[in-house]
Amino acid sequence: MKKQNDNKIRKTGLGARASRRISNGIIYAILIIMTIVWLFPFVGILLESFKTETNMQTPYLFPKEFGFDHYIRLFKETDFFKWFINTGIMGVATAVLQTFFILSMSYVLSRLRFKGRKGLMNFMLILGMFPGFLTMILIYKVFADAGLTANMAPLGLIIVYCASSGMGYYVSKGFFDTIPKSLDEAARVDGATRFQVFYKVIMPLSKPIVIYTILMGFMAPWGDFILASYLIHENSAGMNVAVGMYEWLSRTNLNTYYTMFCAAGVIVAIPVVTVFLLLQKYYVEGVTGGAVKG
Amino acid sequence: MASVKLTNVKKIYGKDTVAVQDFNLDIADKEFIVFVGPSGCGKSTTLRMIAGLEDISDGTVEIDGVVVNDLQPRDRDIAMVFQNYALYPHLTVFENMAFSLRLKNVPNDIVYDKVTKAAEILGITEYLTRKPRALSGGQRQRVAIGRAMVRDSKVFLMDEPLSNLDAKLRNQMRAEIILLRQKIDTTFIYVTHDQTEAMTLGDRIVIMKDGFIQQVGTPTEVFDMPLNLFVAEFIGAPKMNTFKTELVCEGGKYFVKPYGAKIEVTGKKADMLKAKGIGTGEVILGIRPEHFVLSDASNPAAIPCKIVVNEMMGSELHLHVFEENGDRLIVRIPTVSLSDEQRNALVYDATIYVTCEGKVMHFFDTETQRNLLV
Amino acid sequence: MKRLSDLDYLKLNKWQAFWYKVALFFCAIPLFFKNIGLGIVNFFKKCGIGIRDEFVDIGTTFTKGNWAVKLSFLIFGFGNFYYGQILRGILFLLFEVVFIGYMIVPSGGLYWLAKGNWFKIGSTVGTVQGGLVENKINYNGIEIVTSDWVAGDDSVKVMLYGLLTIVFICAFIYTWRVQVKQCRICMDITAKGKKIKSGKDDMKSLLDDQFHKTLLALPITGILAFTVLPIIYMVLVAFTSYDAAHDGYSNLFSWVGFDNFNELFNFNKGGLGLTFGEILSWTLMWAFFATFTNYFLGMFVAIMINKKGIKIKKFWRTILVMTIAIPQFVSLLYVSKLFTTSGLIGRVLEQIPFIHDWRVAHNFVSLWDSPTVAKILLIVINIWIGIPYIMLMATGILMNIPQDLYESARIDGASSTQQFTKITLPYMLFVTGPYLLTSFVGNLNNFNVIYLLSEGNPIKGTAGGASVGHTDLLITWLFKMTLGSTESKYYYASIIGILVFLVVAILSLIIYNVIPSTRNEEDYK
Repeated sequence: MKKQNDNKIRKTGLGARASRRISNGIIYAILIIMTIVWLFPFVGILLESFKTETNMQTPYLFPKEFGFDHYIRLFKETDFFKWFINTGIMGVATAVLQTFFILSMSYVLSRLRFKGRKGLMNFMLILGMFPGFLTMILIYKVFADAGLTANMAPLGLIIVYCASSGMGYYVSKGFFDTIPKSLDEAARVDGATRFQVFYKVIMPLSKPIVIYTILMGFMAPWGDFILASYLIHENSAGMNVAVGMYEWLSRTNLNTYYTMFCAAGVIVAIPVVTVFLLLQKYYVEGVTGGAVKG
Repeated sequence: MASVKLTNVKKIYGKDTVAVQDFNLDIADKEFIVFVGPSGCGKSTTLRMIAGLEDISDGTVEIDGVVVNDLQPRDRDIAMVFQNYALYPHLTVFENMAFSLRLKNVPNDIVYDKVTKAAEILGITEYLTRKPRALSGGQRQRVAIGRAMVRDSKVFLMDEPLSNLDAKLRNQMRAEIILLRQKIDTTFIYVTHDQTEAMTLGDRIVIMKDGFIQQVGTPTEVFDMPLNLFVAEFIGAPKMNTFKTELVCEGGKYFVKPYGAKIEVTGKKADMLKAKGIGTGEVILGIRPEHFVLSDASNPAAIPCKIVVNEMMGSELHLHVFEENGDRLIVRIPTVSLSDEQRNALVYDATIYVTCEGKVMHFFDTETQRNLLV
Repeated sequence: MKRLSDLDYLKLNKWQAFWYKVALFFCAIPLFFKNIGLGIVNFFKKCGIGIRDEFVDIGTTFTKGNWAVKLSFLIFGFGNFYYGQILRGILFLLFEVVFIGYMIVPSGGLYWLAKGNWFKIGSTVGTVQGGLVENKINYNGIEIVTSDWVAGDDSVKVMLYGLLTIVFICAFIYTWRVQVKQCRICMDITAKGKKIKSGKDDMKSLLDDQFHKTLLALPITGILAFTVLPIIYMVLVAFTSYDAAHDGYSNLFSWVGFDNFNELFNFNKGGLGLTFGEILSWTLMWAFFATFTNYFLGMFVAIMINKKGIKIKKFWRTILVMTIAIPQFVSLLYVSKLFTTSGLIGRVLEQIPFIHDWRVAHNFVSLWDSPTVAKILLIVINIWIGIPYIMLMATGILMNIPQDLYESARIDGASSTQQFTKITLPYMLFVTGPYLLTSFVGNLNNFNVIYLLSEGNPIKGTAGGASVGHTDLLITWLFKMTLGSTESKYYYASIIGILVFLVVAILSLIIYNVIPSTRNEEDYK
């Protein structure tokens, strides 16, 4: 009797292991298929950028002849290099300024208590529901007068990206909220002013969120199409990569610029992906923290 | 080293949530004052108002004769130990302790002297280069105290400093705080919800409830002469047994008749009852568990009751008993006073008889719940 | 409806409980609107009381104040000087001088205000129309007629400066109130025999108890100048005839009152009202599918990668995260071209006779030309874009679920499916409630994905002075109205902008009240 029981147990044990192996196998299969689907566009862009035989879309993936022709043409025949530099400058400037704006705002809202704090937060929440880019109609007019469009558009764009960035305080406020309040209090009793609390206690503890904010600031101009297209649609020298490359894929340009678009895409992706993968850890912390805190 | 004086201090949150009501207290120089009470009684709020971490809604706080209501915490010359230690995670133990001195730009050799001296007193010298993360709870607590020590401040504030420690460590640290107090001779204000800490540490105890001070006094005073039912039940563990009963005045002698027994009030208590001219009537009678003694059925002063729980604490037994009406009493009996047979008889559902001496009873008004003898 | 007591509720079986909840939900709707209504009424009541109190306070300040306080009603900062707050006094006085100076100088505040013809329906914004003037020049005896542009007013500028002036006036009134109040406070403090803060104290407190003002100064200024002001301006535009033909410079535009809003009730083909309804319904549908497909699939992927026994977890995650790193316009534009008939995937699909015949039968050049297929493609490609974000987020949350919950569930006899439905899913839904809200709203306004993939095409007509496509969201339509068309009917854009705002606000309010996380914050802590 007892023996039978033992056998039974062992049998179900084996069954569980086997079924786990099967389910793991299915998961691996799904993951591998996903990997292919997710990587396909990137590999595709990379391969197409090396096709020297044509400028057009082709029905095959692998180039018949490898070469750097499109990359060379990119720098010789187009303003791409200029756009690239523009965007890079915007990325760095935005990263610095925007970080300052966002951290100030979120620090104040998270850790200082003052009259009108709740009201300010509600006000910004409501403000954020208005389609933001409509403001560009007026801003374009003003900037055009001030000479901040066309060739100077990058400067104008930096101002646009940073000026209202305080409204995007949510993620970093969520982070600051997790630092115990008693640290501030201890420091204040120890003789620190609120400013000293800010830079001697809280800032050293906030490295992850500072890096996250910088990362977001740096990446924003690389992907921005909508705001940029208001300020720079008329002039080539002041363009950023998004607006410039968008033109290349319009129906009329498609067959001339398709492969160059791919080459440019690869070049654009390199700095952003590098920075991103290096700082991936902080990005993940920001995304998860922000989601949980809301 | 300073006196602290609170006059009509009030704290109101929002429009009408009152946290602290009319708090009046004179704290003498170098006194060790303990605020004690259940959570939400306003004790921490009061402490934080003294520290300057909460605004004072009304009234004044004076330190050393200076009104500090509008001063920032850093201008009040106070030191504070927080419940969760509040150590700066990015700084070493040394820098944590030196933080306040660094803010004042004190020269490094003085910082070094002060910090190492404090560390030595607290026995944390070997951890000075570590980060707080690498310390145990007790060690962190020491660092937090050390951080407050190096400041040589006028007032030393402690907000439930031991409540995050486990029971054993808490007892140990409590003893150390008593020792520490002798070494750093300054004014202490200590907040706790634990009456044992309050009794053992305080020169005087302030017992609070719902924002009101219930009683201020030395540990002996509040234990022997609680001003009201709340203090009586709050101080002492296990808590005092209280029940309604009749106080009878017969021919100049006072008797109480709890649960069919008849016990004479004797000694000082009887004198005080007489002096107050209190007559026959219903009162709330309070008897501390340790004042019950075992008796037998023949004694007219004995209360018969049934055992429901028998807690063996080692040196003493805590018996939870039901008397006939179903009220629950707690009786505390030192084990040395019991023979083995007696002890074995104390089992579930066994009937025992307990009585108590008349001189240790407390009497409270049934309506106001105030002590009748005060 | 009668509410059941808690114990009665517990007696209900699963279905009864479900229908009870549904009934409760619908019964709560009138109450919800009543509460909103009451909230608004209360808000205005509060405002009214606040304003009344202010006036009463000003009155008592004047009657009870000493001569210095009284004089500061006229001269800014006088009280501050009187009580020794030199720095504040100087700043206040300077503000008054600048304000008065700005208002009265030629082409100052008053000038711009007068030019604006504010809200006079039918009159132009700005008074002088620019125009061509013929000049006869005698050039070597030959008379040449040239026409030169003589600039008039620019309505855009007139309106902007007018608006700025109004803002300035509000600031002036506010500052006046603040300094009068300060004087009163100074008086009270001196009466009590206390010390008044000096300029030095003020400077110091900017790094201490007033530190928030220091930190907020720049960000708030930025928001006011670059968001609040332009938004007010755009709202005003809804009441004007500002468009490409009346751009304010070559042709002044004028105030038209609520005339533009009439178009909203035009439900004919191409009418603003009808088009808005059509686009709104697709926008909502899109936001719904985009949010929930991503959410559940992303969570599913996260669970797969996190499952015990799956190796190289980091590798799988990194592959997915790469999609986030690459700028969307590169990947999206490329992917959109993949699906055209000459694109890589499009060509493969062409090989399938069924698809080819269908395309030819409908005369579509590429798959993007079919409204239905385009919509499906958008949602599918959006899954490709969105899963990595959710996967990252869900991974974080999954790791935060206390393991003992699972252990206790296993001891209670829960299978792994039950563990998912009873523990993981409720926990995730609870924790990510606020995220779902932001993500839904984000998808309502998901410009990038739609515009870069389909540009809103295939086109179905024009409305509001811009072309409208089957896959246009409100936000892309708005973009086309302001930038993509030659007519640039800004006033319609403004109206649609206001409507978008209302849609987002109302939806947020509803969702916010439905999701549990905002109400029972402590449930899972």
